[in-house]
Amino acid sequence: MIRYSLRRVPSGVLVLAVASVLVFAVLRLAPGDPAVVLAGPDAPPETVAKVRAQLGLSDSLPAQYAHWLKGLLTGDLGHSYILGAPIGKLIGHGLGATLELTLGALVLAVLIGGAAGIGAAVPRNRQVRALANGFTSLAGAVPPYVTGVLLVLLFAVTVRLLPAGGRVPILSDPGIGWQYLIMPALCLALPVAAVLARFLAASIRRVRDEDYVRTAVAKGIAPRRILVRHVLPNALPPVVTVLGIQVGQLLGGAIVVEAIFAWPGVGQLLLQGVLGRDYLLTQDLLLLAVAVFVVLQTLTDLVQAALDPRRRLEGR
Amino acid sequence: MTAVMEAPAAAPRRGQWRRGFGTPSARIGLAVVGLMYLAGLAAPLLTGHDPEAQSAHALLGPGGGHLLGTDEYGRDLWARVLYGIRVDVLVTVVAVPIGAVLGTALGVLCGVHRWVDVVLQRAFDVMLAFTALILGVTVAAVIGPGLPAVLVTVAGVNVPLFGRIARDAVLTQRDLDYVVAARTVGVGPVRLLLRHILPNGVDGLVVQGALSLSLAVFVEGAMSFVGIGVRAPAPSLGSLLRSSVNFLHQNPAYAVGPMVAVTLLVVAFNLVADGLGKGLLKR
Repeated sequence: MIRYSLRRVPSGVLVLAVASVLVFAVLRLAPGDPAVVLAGPDAPPETVAKVRAQLGLSDSLPAQYAHWLKGLLTGDLGHSYILGAPIGKLIGHGLGATLELTLGALVLAVLIGGAAGIGAAVPRNRQVRALANGFTSLAGAVPPYVTGVLLVLLFAVTVRLLPAGGRVPILSDPGIGWQYLIMPALCLALPVAAVLARFLAASIRRVRDEDYVRTAVAKGIAPRRILVRHVLPNALPPVVTVLGIQVGQLLGGAIVVEAIFAWPGVGQLLLQGVLGRDYLLTQDLLLLAVAVFVVLQTLTDLVQAALDPRRRLEGR
Repeated sequence: MTAVMEAPAAAPRRGQWRRGFGTPSARIGLAVVGLMYLAGLAAPLLTGHDPEAQSAHALLGPGGGHLLGTDEYGRDLWARVLYGIRVDVLVTVVAVPIGAVLGTALGVLCGVHRWVDVVLQRAFDVMLAFTALILGVTVAAVIGPGLPAVLVTVAGVNVPLFGRIARDAVLTQRDLDYVVAARTVGVGPVRLLLRHILPNGVDGLVVQGALSLSLAVFVEGAMSFVGIGVRAPAPSLGSLLRSSVNFLHQNPAYAVGPMVAVTLLVVAFNLVADGLGKGLLKR
């Protein structure tokens, strides 16, 4: 296991390093000079030069990259031009909101996906299975921005049950907070739930055909006990991988969902950065998104290897 | 061994294509996509309204010369939805094939040498770490929001997807008996690739193609929705849906057109992919 980790982690670090160079380099290709923007439209060249020096933009590109990287590693993410605040602080605020949203979505996805997956594979009743299958196909195909607008239309406009947008932190006021959280979280959760359900159902069907399950049936063990003790424990490991990859993508989905529900998270911050041409803010957040993806994927691989020893021997 | 020997035979392949495209889900999906694309392309025939012409009749409900009502500038929503579909036609017909060809070419290159394979595999890993929308944001930050950003993003997302499938196909097929036999007989590398290896690895690429078309519609909608894709006044399904959010109280029908159109397209392409997958991949 240790040997596997030693092999797996460096490739994650490599991907991250290349991604950081890439993010840094492509944003330097973007048109427009932040120094000109910041100095104002009528600023004389000397002022622009001074601003440029202040921002560190007059250094060579490798020096700028090294400076940025050093800042990232020491926790100094720089200063946002457009929002006039330290980026570390801005991200800190946004991350709380995004974390609440993605964790809420994750809980819903596991509950809904688990129920739909079991519902699609286990019941003898064909209609129940068809219902679960239908739900899975639909939830997997409908984009979150459609689900989001539909939810707002149903529960905020037609029936005025829930607020159409905004956020009250669930930790500071759970009673009100959940009303703001439920629609965005559901919207983000449904596509993930669909993928989970599909893989869980397939995995259950595969495990159910194994000899040891047949043996258990032959011994006369109750169906519920077979499901809980024999089928599910063996059906879950492959689903863990899928869950890990899906969670890595939640941050991308959060950009859309936060935009629908005016949820003040890092997705909104990233869009502000891009549309306001705040390169440093954009750069930091893009790398954060890539880092989250890479870390989760590496963790997923490690968990998978811990659960299934065969994985550790692959590709030797 | 028998399965391997069956694979290269030419005759059953045509039957397999028929089986793939002949499944009910593939047929329904293709029909829906066909109708919608036709509607988008024939937009001037289906509506007399200019999608960008403003009028004093803002936020009307459906009816009275406006099939879906009007938006906040009095523009006809039915016309805007029809012309919005054209953006998706463009994205699926132009950007997806570019990404597919580029990705497949890179994937095939992996078979050239072990080191090329290692480097390209890592490159795919890096590309995959930029999930669709994160890549979209990156592209929009560099070249600015707009249709070009959507096209570049959709092409870019597809490169590693097709690259991996093509690589796996080449590496597995390369060592199969019929390829070794062909090589022994003196078939050159290019002919070997184009006539023997790719046709037998094409199933996975075709299924991925259908999924990628669905993904393309999804990405266009998402990028335009958050404001980094197609921007007003040009209509697109994503940007229409976005502006509808502000006026759901005044005209709930505003959201219906783009919602139905995006969903139909994405679901239809998924159906095609499902059908093809059943027909082609499961033997």
